[in-house]
Amino acid sequence: MTASTDRSIRLAGVTKTFGEGDAAVHALKGVDLEIASGELVVVLGPSGSGKTTMCNIIGGIETATAGTVQIAGEDISDRKPATLSAFRRDHVGFIFQFFNLIPTLTARENIEIILALTGKGSSARVEDLLSAVGLADRADNFPAQLSGGQQQRVAVARALATDPDILLADEPTGALDLPTGRQILALLQELNAEGRTVVIVTHNSSVAQIANRVVTVVDGTIQSAAVNEAPIAAADVTW
Amino acid sequence: MRVTTKKSLRDLRRSRAQVIAVTITIMLGVMLYVATAGAFQNLTASYQHTYDRLNFATYVGTGGTADDVASAAAAAGAADAIPRAQYDPPMLIDNTKLVGRVIGMPVDGQPAVNSVDVVDGGYFDADATDQALIETHAADTFGIGPGDTVKVYGGDGWHEVTIVGVAISAEYLWPARNRQSVLGDPHAFAVLFLPSDTVAQWFGPDNQALVMMPDQLTTSSTNDVTQAMTDAGATDIQTWEEQPSHATLNEDLKGFDQMSKAFPALFLLAAAIASYVMLARRILMERPVIATLMAAGARRGRILRMYLLQGLVVGTLGGFLGVVIGALASGAVTTAYTGGLGIPDTVIKNYPWMIVVGLAFGVLVGAMGAFFPALSASRTKPAEAMHTAAPTRAPGPWSRLVARMRWLPVATRMALRDVGRSPRRTLATMLGAILSLVLVLASVGMMTSIVQAIQIQYTDIELQDATVVIEDGVDAASTVGSVDGVAAVERTTMGRVTAQANGHSYVTTLRGFESNTAMHQFKMTDGALTSLPPSGVLAGAPIATLLNVEAGDTITLSTESGTSEVTIAGFVDEPLGTFLYATNDVASSAVDETGLSSYDLAFRDGVDRDAMRQHISQLDGVVGYQDARAVVTSLQQYLGLFWAFIGVMIILGGALALAVMYVTLAVNIVERTGELATLRASGVPVRKVAGTITIENVIATALGIPFGVALGTLAAAWFLSTFSSDLFTFHLMWSWWVPWVAAAGVLIASALSRIPAARAVRKVDVATVVRERAT
Repeated sequence: MTASTDRSIRLAGVTKTFGEGDAAVHALKGVDLEIASGELVVVLGPSGSGKTTMCNIIGGIETATAGTVQIAGEDISDRKPATLSAFRRDHVGFIFQFFNLIPTLTARENIEIILALTGKGSSARVEDLLSAVGLADRADNFPAQLSGGQQQRVAVARALATDPDILLADEPTGALDLPTGRQILALLQELNAEGRTVVIVTHNSSVAQIANRVVTVVDGTIQSAAVNEAPIAAADVTW
Repeated sequence: MRVTTKKSLRDLRRSRAQVIAVTITIMLGVMLYVATAGAFQNLTASYQHTYDRLNFATYVGTGGTADDVASAAAAAGAADAIPRAQYDPPMLIDNTKLVGRVIGMPVDGQPAVNSVDVVDGGYFDADATDQALIETHAADTFGIGPGDTVKVYGGDGWHEVTIVGVAISAEYLWPARNRQSVLGDPHAFAVLFLPSDTVAQWFGPDNQALVMMPDQLTTSSTNDVTQAMTDAGATDIQTWEEQPSHATLNEDLKGFDQMSKAFPALFLLAAAIASYVMLARRILMERPVIATLMAAGARRGRILRMYLLQGLVVGTLGGFLGVVIGALASGAVTTAYTGGLGIPDTVIKNYPWMIVVGLAFGVLVGAMGAFFPALSASRTKPAEAMHTAAPTRAPGPWSRLVARMRWLPVATRMALRDVGRSPRRTLATMLGAILSLVLVLASVGMMTSIVQAIQIQYTDIELQDATVVIEDGVDAASTVGSVDGVAAVERTTMGRVTAQANGHSYVTTLRGFESNTAMHQFKMTDGALTSLPPSGVLAGAPIATLLNVEAGDTITLSTESGTSEVTIAGFVDEPLGTFLYATNDVASSAVDETGLSSYDLAFRDGVDRDAMRQHISQLDGVVGYQDARAVVTSLQQYLGLFWAFIGVMIILGGALALAVMYVTLAVNIVERTGELATLRASGVPVRKVAGTITIENVIATALGIPFGVALGTLAAAWFLSTFSSDLFTFHLMWSWWVPWVAAAGVLIASALSRIPAARAVRKVDVATVVRERAT
């Protein structure tokens, strides 16, 4: 990863509507948002506010109904699914609330499978990634043999497998207890410190304390986007 | 409508693609059953209608005095019994010399037994002597009809008769000379019906007694009437079921009968499995919902019925469609068959019981597939309502073992582990492969075995190119041996005999060859080649069972002129017909003198066979000619519809494989939506994701292949055994590559699942899956 890479995110007038007619649900109603390269942004909002939809649109797994989406210098607003897939492969890493590890694969293989199927990187990189998340000694364990925190760390390593510019974490601590949640947040802070843009979507306002900026989403619109002048270390977060 | 019914119907609608696949499989099974079983019933009824209309003889007695035998049968209770003359003289039809058959008929009207249907021209004039009816197959082969003349060789020389009509005979719906020659050169056999006085004058007296019982098509071969016939001197009594034409056609019917049971059963079994997999998966996904219902006090019976209903709906729908299409196909198959073989009557009926059975099959299959998943649903513990997701199970020994196989690509390791992850799904895929292979190998096995049997018969056993019949006293060597293109000439002997032993009898042809013959190869049942014994006979293998004899036993050979005893030196394994073989010396002492001699000819390579027929037929002294290779043409006609049926079966086998694999694949994708969505979110291309699922499918299919090949081989052997009799002796024969190609075909079908897999993966809404998992 080079420091000069554009890892910015720009949403302009983005709307997202599910369904049609009377059944239409307007998840996002004209969102304008800019996230600079290397920022750590927490998107905060209650359930159903549209924060996950926004995260998905940034990640290219969902397309906006209207508006412009520019990620890492590329306009992905009108891209077809196949090119969005290639875009994700090159720029985005996802971390999910429930880890979404493949239960039949070991920790090592859960990362290796991404490298094998995307054709990015060599299997030697797997060891580095596992070491980076502190799981080198658990590489051959299956998900069922790992704790929730360890599973989420594998998920983080998996998200890093393609060396993405942007990390999107949707409720990364939602299924974890406080100590484990802190470890994951610390890991995300470290990755941000390396230069990656990190977006954390959560309903947990305590997580916002580690962000450079906190974007609050309510009913499909951005209610506020406040700069956090004094982000705290993940180890100091409490909830 | 009850809300539970509404839920079941909506559930089915949500799984449209899988429901359609299962419904189609059930439909195919029921359709096959109704079409083939219906065709079997229709064809049986068609034959019986013809037999009824033309007073087909229940028994044909030979030996003794025909008039006495017929009188004895009538006195013992036969509905009708008449004497009749039948001889096999040389004929000259349209410049072709052949050994045909003449049958005496009264001039004052149709006989009471074995009458004919005159379809062109008319019956004899009342005072006719030199008129003839020609059997329809010969009329078609030689292109002759009323007004044309043919010559028959009898007594004092050639006699010309004028054809007055073309007739269909129940005895020659399939033109077989006898049970040993059901497949022959169409230019080497013709049946003429002549006035009975003319037959008596030119050939000899009545030599058959035709007997019709009150219940015409009785299956009893021993009763008062047959006993009376035997007592009156009949040495052999052939039942209507043994009659060559009927027996040959019945082999085809038996095929329909067997296939109408076995092949639909394969489809219905596959459908039940697919239905089971589909519902089991739904119930697995809905456990929290079911548990919630149970927690609210729902009764187990209601839950069971709710899910059972889904199977019943699919089964009923598939059954209904199968019955409708099957009923239509049954009529079409019947018409094609009777039209193709020239059966005069076509009876097409709808059989209410078959429709009921077809529907019941559909419902039963649906219910069978749904029962165990529904039962499992009804046993769901209410506490499971509290679980949001199934707990992750610890890896088993298989997973741990595969984890150590680091040398394998990770995608392959994942597929290998997934095979053990859902044993139900893997077993279903395996069974799909197994059933497809059984269907394909049973069909291909029959086809290749029959083709190879013909190959063996006409290249390894019957080594002659043609057989000629020459008047006694004519020098064969100078007559046919000098013809350009003839490489070798050998005298042969041929005559009809009744072989008897241990109270059993069997009418067959005794064939004599030179002791060191180059015209026939004798292969024993153990595969060893042998030569003719200096005394005694070699017998076709079925004779061991027919007469309950073994090598070394003595049998009696009866002809019109007397009896003789011979020892069986051994049994030969030959695909077509069941003959007795001896040296010319032994054979000529056992068969009747006919005034004619037969010779086998071998041609030089590259001769024009039609030209040889034309040339040799015209030679003085030659009264009959049969091209040994022309039999293949006749065989192709006989097997024509059979090939079509097998072709359809192979296509359906592929469809079966695809249908089952599609269902298991769809279930696989649904069960792993979260994983697949994660891979997609990570930027893995659709084709790669589909590839991982395909690898799993191919592995499961490969696991089923050894079982499929083994069971398919057994099924093919069993089907062939049902066709084997004294008419045909088939062994399962196929080239070494056949099972490999069949297995490769099933694997390719499995690999083709990548196409629907890619489509299904593309349809996975990654965002929705992610959103549903977020809080």
